[in-house]
Amino acid sequence: MTHSGELSAKGISRKRGDTQVLSAVDLVVKPGQITALIGPSGGGKTTLLKALSLLELPDEGEVNIDGASYKFPLNDRKNIKPPWPELTVVFQQLFLFPHLTLRENIMLPLGKATNRSEQLVHLFERFHMQSFLDRYPNEASLGQRQRAALVRAMALNPKYILLDEITSSLDVEQVALILAEIRSLSESGVGILLITHLLHFARQAADSIVFLEGGHVIESGSKEVLMNPQEERVKNFLTMAEFAS
Amino acid sequence: MFVTLLLFRVFTGLLEFPLGVYDIFSQYGEALTRGLCESIKLAMIVWITGLVLGGISGVLGAKFPKLFGYPLAGLAFILSGIPTLVFLFWLHYPVQAMFNVVIDPFITASVTLAIINTFAVSEIVRGALRDFPEHYLVAARVCGLGKWQTVRAIQLPLILRQILPALLTTQVTMLQATLFASLISVDEIFRTAQQINATIYKPVEIYTALGILFLAVCLPLNGLALWLRKHFTRNLSEN
Repeated sequence: MTHSGELSAKGISRKRGDTQVLSAVDLVVKPGQITALIGPSGGGKTTLLKALSLLELPDEGEVNIDGASYKFPLNDRKNIKPPWPELTVVFQQLFLFPHLTLRENIMLPLGKATNRSEQLVHLFERFHMQSFLDRYPNEASLGQRQRAALVRAMALNPKYILLDEITSSLDVEQVALILAEIRSLSESGVGILLITHLLHFARQAADSIVFLEGGHVIESGSKEVLMNPQEERVKNFLTMAEFAS
Repeated sequence: MFVTLLLFRVFTGLLEFPLGVYDIFSQYGEALTRGLCESIKLAMIVWITGLVLGGISGVLGAKFPKLFGYPLAGLAFILSGIPTLVFLFWLHYPVQAMFNVVIDPFITASVTLAIINTFAVSEIVRGALRDFPEHYLVAARVCGLGKWQTVRAIQLPLILRQILPALLTTQVTMLQATLFASLISVDEIFRTAQQINATIYKPVEIYTALGILFLAVCLPLNGLALWLRKHFTRNLSEN
């Protein structure tokens, strides 16, 4: 099995206290593809995202990032070559720096990389951000902060971007905007992992689906999983989710 | 309102106080200024020593909790239960007698108050570092910020915003604590005021003059602390 040119987890397990949060989870994020991770709350989605981005190291298993392989348990944490910002994350809680304006939040990681100004202007226009860029996070609405967090990650030109419930507070127009933008990102070769509870969003955006519950992958495959699930549990979940929406 | 009226009447020497505060300033201004300079000199030593050593020990305490953090917190806890005056007397009389040395009271007062300030600053810094929200460090990491860039651009500004008001309030308290130095014969402003009072016996006017001088120094510092609290803590909320 070759691991070059993809982000993958193989047999990832993670325990917190007495709770097994992840149990031998396999997952692949390919460049230019969108993988949607769905499932009920507390199923281990965010923990898997953190494990893939090496922010929370798994107890067992293997993570591969473009050929760099990390087998757990690790003998020495110092052996980890930081995968960021080539692999970056947008968290559900956003984590914008509160003492910086939204513009400064986006610009800070870019440092002196002035050659990205054209790309930034494009992103600001695409996300209709010009009117609130100079607000502090506590002066912006949740939707505005979500857009800023997404643009901060996109401006880094990552090879992989992991998105944790980034559409949770957006209206339908903004969701459509983000859908178009992450599709465009994906077409440019970026591998995307998308955690979402919006099934229609996953259906429209994703190339592959992974259903995670209780730390186990219950079902995975193409987006056909959402139309014609094989597992009873996934069928029930989708029915409930459709009903709720 | 009452305080303003009282201060006005005392200051202008109207009715109740034939020799008003204004007269105290005009007659003993030089001595009071000399005393105030001595107090400020003492406070500067206490401030600088406390902020530098307290800052360093606070960082060490947060970085190495077992080696520095817990012992420092324990000492700070004990020290906070000892009245400043008692601590000052211990270092001035029994400790010097124990080692058979005589140390200039100004130095004894400086060391005593600097120790107290160091522990106070250390606890403020250690607490702020210990409680620094981990998620900002995670966000900095996934954005590709380096270790020092994270310290300089994220941690330092956020922590300074958080601790500055508390640090300023502590420094004002330390300035007021310099008055205790008079009790071991340091010629600071309180001792100067006592000496003037021994000559003319006008305690209300003299100590009011002392209060006004202290207000002139402390009010801007307290105002700055208030301003910092109001303006900088605003942006610390994400929502």
